[in-house]
Amino acid sequence: MFDTLFTTKKTPADQIPVGLWAQFRRQSPGYIAGLLFLAAYHYLQYLFDVELDEAVDVALGNAPGNAVQLGVWLIGISLVAFGVRVLSRIAVFNGGRNAEYELRRATLHHLHKLGPSFYAKMSTGDIMSRVTNDLGQVRLLLGFGVLNLFSTVFALVSSLAVTLERSVKLTLASLSAMPILIIVVLIFSRAMYARQRENQDAIGSLSGRVQASIAGVRVVRSFGLERAEIAEFEKANADYTEKSLRLANLRGVMFPVMQGISSVGIVVLLWYGGHLVLTDPSFDAGSFVAFFRALSRLTWPLISLGFIISVIQRGRASYSRIQELLDIQPDIVDGERSLVSHPRAIGTESPEAGLGPKGVGLEVRDLSFAYGTKQVLRDVSFSVPPGASLAIVGRTGSGKSTLAWLLARLRPTPRGAVFLNGVDVCDLKLTELRRTIGYAQQDPFLFSTTVGRNIGYGLDDPDSDASQQIILQAAQDAHIADEVRELPDGFDTVVGERGVQLSGGQKQRTSLARALVSQPQVLVLDDPLSAVDARTEAAILAAIDKQLQQRSVILVTHRISAAKRCDHVVVLDEGRVIEQGAHAELVKAGGLYAAFNDEQRIETELQRLGSSDLNQLAGAL
Amino acid sequence: MSEASARTSRIEKILREFHEDASFGKAYDLRLLRRLWQFVYPHRRLLYWSLILGVVTVGFGLVRPLLMQWTIDSGVLAKDANVLLVGAASFAGVTLIEQLLTVVRTLATQRLGAVAVSDLRSHVFAFLHRLRLGYFDGQPVGRLVTRVTNDTDALMELASSGVLNIATDLLKLIGIVVLMLTLDWQLSIVAFLAVPPVMILVQVVRRYHREAFREIRAKTSRMNANMNEQVSGMPVVQAFSRQEAAAEDFDKINQAFREANIRSIKYDAMQDAAIDTVTAICVAFILLALGFHPVSFGVLVAFIAYVREFFEPISLLAQRYTILQSSMAGAERIFALLEVKEFDAPETTPAADSPGDTVISLEGVDFSYKPGVPVLHDVSLFARRGEKIALVGPTGSGKTTIASLLLRLYDVQAGVVRVNGRDVKSFSRDELRRHFAAVPQDVFLFPGTVADNIAAGEKPDLERVEEVLLRISALELFKDRPEGLLANVEERGSNFSAGERQLIAFARALYRDAPVLILDEATASIDSDTEAHLQTALNELMKDRTAIIIAHRLSTIQAADRIIVLHKGRVAEQGTHEALLAGQGLYAKLHALHFSRPR
Repeated sequence: MFDTLFTTKKTPADQIPVGLWAQFRRQSPGYIAGLLFLAAYHYLQYLFDVELDEAVDVALGNAPGNAVQLGVWLIGISLVAFGVRVLSRIAVFNGGRNAEYELRRATLHHLHKLGPSFYAKMSTGDIMSRVTNDLGQVRLLLGFGVLNLFSTVFALVSSLAVTLERSVKLTLASLSAMPILIIVVLIFSRAMYARQRENQDAIGSLSGRVQASIAGVRVVRSFGLERAEIAEFEKANADYTEKSLRLANLRGVMFPVMQGISSVGIVVLLWYGGHLVLTDPSFDAGSFVAFFRALSRLTWPLISLGFIISVIQRGRASYSRIQELLDIQPDIVDGERSLVSHPRAIGTESPEAGLGPKGVGLEVRDLSFAYGTKQVLRDVSFSVPPGASLAIVGRTGSGKSTLAWLLARLRPTPRGAVFLNGVDVCDLKLTELRRTIGYAQQDPFLFSTTVGRNIGYGLDDPDSDASQQIILQAAQDAHIADEVRELPDGFDTVVGERGVQLSGGQKQRTSLARALVSQPQVLVLDDPLSAVDARTEAAILAAIDKQLQQRSVILVTHRISAAKRCDHVVVLDEGRVIEQGAHAELVKAGGLYAAFNDEQRIETELQRLGSSDLNQLAGAL
Repeated sequence: MSEASARTSRIEKILREFHEDASFGKAYDLRLLRRLWQFVYPHRRLLYWSLILGVVTVGFGLVRPLLMQWTIDSGVLAKDANVLLVGAASFAGVTLIEQLLTVVRTLATQRLGAVAVSDLRSHVFAFLHRLRLGYFDGQPVGRLVTRVTNDTDALMELASSGVLNIATDLLKLIGIVVLMLTLDWQLSIVAFLAVPPVMILVQVVRRYHREAFREIRAKTSRMNANMNEQVSGMPVVQAFSRQEAAAEDFDKINQAFREANIRSIKYDAMQDAAIDTVTAICVAFILLALGFHPVSFGVLVAFIAYVREFFEPISLLAQRYTILQSSMAGAERIFALLEVKEFDAPETTPAADSPGDTVISLEGVDFSYKPGVPVLHDVSLFARRGEKIALVGPTGSGKTTIASLLLRLYDVQAGVVRVNGRDVKSFSRDELRRHFAAVPQDVFLFPGTVADNIAAGEKPDLERVEEVLLRISALELFKDRPEGLLANVEERGSNFSAGERQLIAFARALYRDAPVLILDEATASIDSDTEAHLQTALNELMKDRTAIIIAHRLSTIQAADRIIVLHKGRVAEQGTHEALLAGQGLYAKLHALHFSRPR
């Protein structure tokens, strides 16, 4: 079928050529076919004009012949022209679509390899605008741009062939205004580009303003800032209105100006062409009409030349923005070793030899880490034997979350600092490392799919019966199953911005269940008790207790109620380990941990208050 | 296995319904037009000018082929060179005037669109700020932003894309047909003989195209949503090593998107070629007819020119219809928003302050956010002038709600909230909220500078900003930044630490200098340096002010004049620290527990 004729075969994502020129060459079969059709179309246009010349002479009685026959012939040419024109567009545009598809695939593949340092620098909105808008511009360049550029050239050749054959002088005279037209077009398209950018910037700052005003609506209300907000908005609105008007005006003026200039050709034709009909016997009425038509079909391609040039320019500028993204090197690269085959052979895959039921031991040696110049961790060392549990305690900003990320290389972990069963995590295959160390986030990101699929995210086939069992079990272990069942569609309820909103505590337990599904040997929980109410806290603590019996757990928290459940506690302050030991020892030691313990006792009691009946509690106290 | 695949298809169906909203608005709705007219009305002069100029321009455009006919018939055929010169010159003149008028007309139309839409945008934004806070709780921010930006932009397209020219385009079509009929009615009929079948064909293609286009739209939004999710959820994708599965998932959508586009290309190509083809066929029909029905050379040229001009606006019609549809869909969404009647703090019966010692009070207040889930029940409390009240209670006991009710961010279901002895419902909202300076637990910073954020809505008086920062001993902290107080705040204040954001919020409250302070203490421990700062700042902030503090720290609680203990939306007990201790109630027991432990 024609639709699929120019579709390239599926290539592995990392082998797709991503250069603009490389993609152009890759789509060349479609382009060549398209250009052949295009050439045929413009030849048929030439033919039409030539036949028209003859037909007019016949019809006006200036020559012997059959006008009806010529008319039918012209209809035939038009219909064939229609066919080849359609085919040319399909062939070339398909090339553009294929390039778009492949570039989008390659870009996502690259995005998957980039680490958090990249995502910290470039916002989701920025990335999305490159993958959608910019890629769209590149597609226009590789489809629309290519087609119309060639179409213009062919149209020029085919029209000039008609006009030059009839009168060289008239051709030169009637095209005298064309250079001006081209210059004007170029000036306009340059100005257009500048104004388009202005316009984009203005709409950007306008929506930023609106976004902040609505996201911060609580503060706006509390401080009575409505009038000030409206005044700020009015400024941005006036600016945007002005900029968009400047752009619209330019567009609006461009068209009449070009029409005006291109009419010069018709004026010349009327006057000088009319003269020729009077004086030159070889330039008759038929020539006049053919010339008229050739001239008019040249007008549009020339007018749109500016537009095509701007499409090409914009496409190239957009491509450079995509290229910027593709040029960024991933800062976390895959290792080669496998945990199960350690320590003797490297790279051999033997079944799970040498792994105890409680899994692996983890060791951190002199780990230091900085974000740019900001030192976050200094010489951190501790170890977690197989099956043991560890709490990392500290204030906000003490580096405890960073430490949790570094364990499974969710940030660029330095070499020689984190070891699993004695193997440097930097040498391990990432898939295996992350299957071994499960991680439940502090501020969990849930996909806007069903709760069940969110929990089963780590499974290959989350809908199979076996998976359903695993999901349910994980949900029970995370103490979220009952609450999920109460949702409108149970486990099939869609969550997210436009779906059902889960509370902070529900999200955290969903994230915990998600981590449990892959049965990691080490479970890292990042601040599972932040922003939860008393009932939720009790549920999460119960879930943690259950996990402590099953696997190694590393618990990042500022809550003593959670930390005291672990075998060992490491206290971080400004990136250093300032104390470590068991809960009881640290309380006795009277350091920062003991201070936390005091500070939080009233808080803890209050939470207990919330979860129980008042009278009962007062009696119990 | 069949059960599993049934499950898959069921979930896929749920997700499809969830993600793909392919709704085109009704293109033509009188009610919508009437509402839009409100915004056009103040600028109607521009509309009138645009219409008048449009009609005149159409007239000039119609004359041009007639001029060609006259020039050829009386110049070429009558062999009169003078006529050629006059004809060509007047053709040039008419074209010049026509294009000049078009320029003026375009400027008027564009201005009309821009100012009317600008007014509408201001109206929508100001309207949002009249809605009560509860309305925003159920609305994603992005959706409301879209109302103010994209949806209004779609309306501006009406003017800038020339959709507003539809009326004059129609006039032009009628003019062309009438003039052609007058020139030679028999030839006209033959000329347009090819039009009906071609138009039927185009109509059919257009319908398929529209369907394909709708599918593309749905696929586009699905694809963007998937990509967006993967990008914002990248930490999860990577932590679970799901890159390959995610890529596979995306590839399916990406492929479907490409296929939908490829399907639509052929319809697009047919539509693109249709106009030129039908023009050529019309010319061919004219020549064919000349075999039976001879006309003059000039009439032939005029006919060819008219046929070309006839199809030009028609070629734009499909595109304009699409724009019209999306504009109207945007208008529909905007006006649906403007229908919302949930206003913020509407002023009811006016009343005067009844001066007394009590600055704020709640009397028998019941409140719930969602029906059936009561948050406060029969709560009564008060604060005297200069008193510092600590609200104590577990998460979910209703502390923050009490703060919101004082500001009348929500309305109570039963009971009364009073400020200076006056029901809060009798204040205008600005007057009421001037009484308070609020420091939320989760500080929100606006785009702008540090100084802008501290002055909150006023033009920052830098001296006063420095003064308040000095009073909370935080001046140096902020002045140390390269740009000092004029340092820019990035999105949501991400370039400031949690402690620094708190301090900015404190300074904001102090700058406002309101008689009542409402403070929601941060729960999480903040780094030690800023924590010390915060304590000093807090003392400074409360000085000479009535303060309601949602307290989490014992030190803050003990410093309060009176403590109110909340439990499950009720006041469990209240009194001074000493009185509560003496009362041997809940607080006393909590306190005893705290101090009985070895320190």
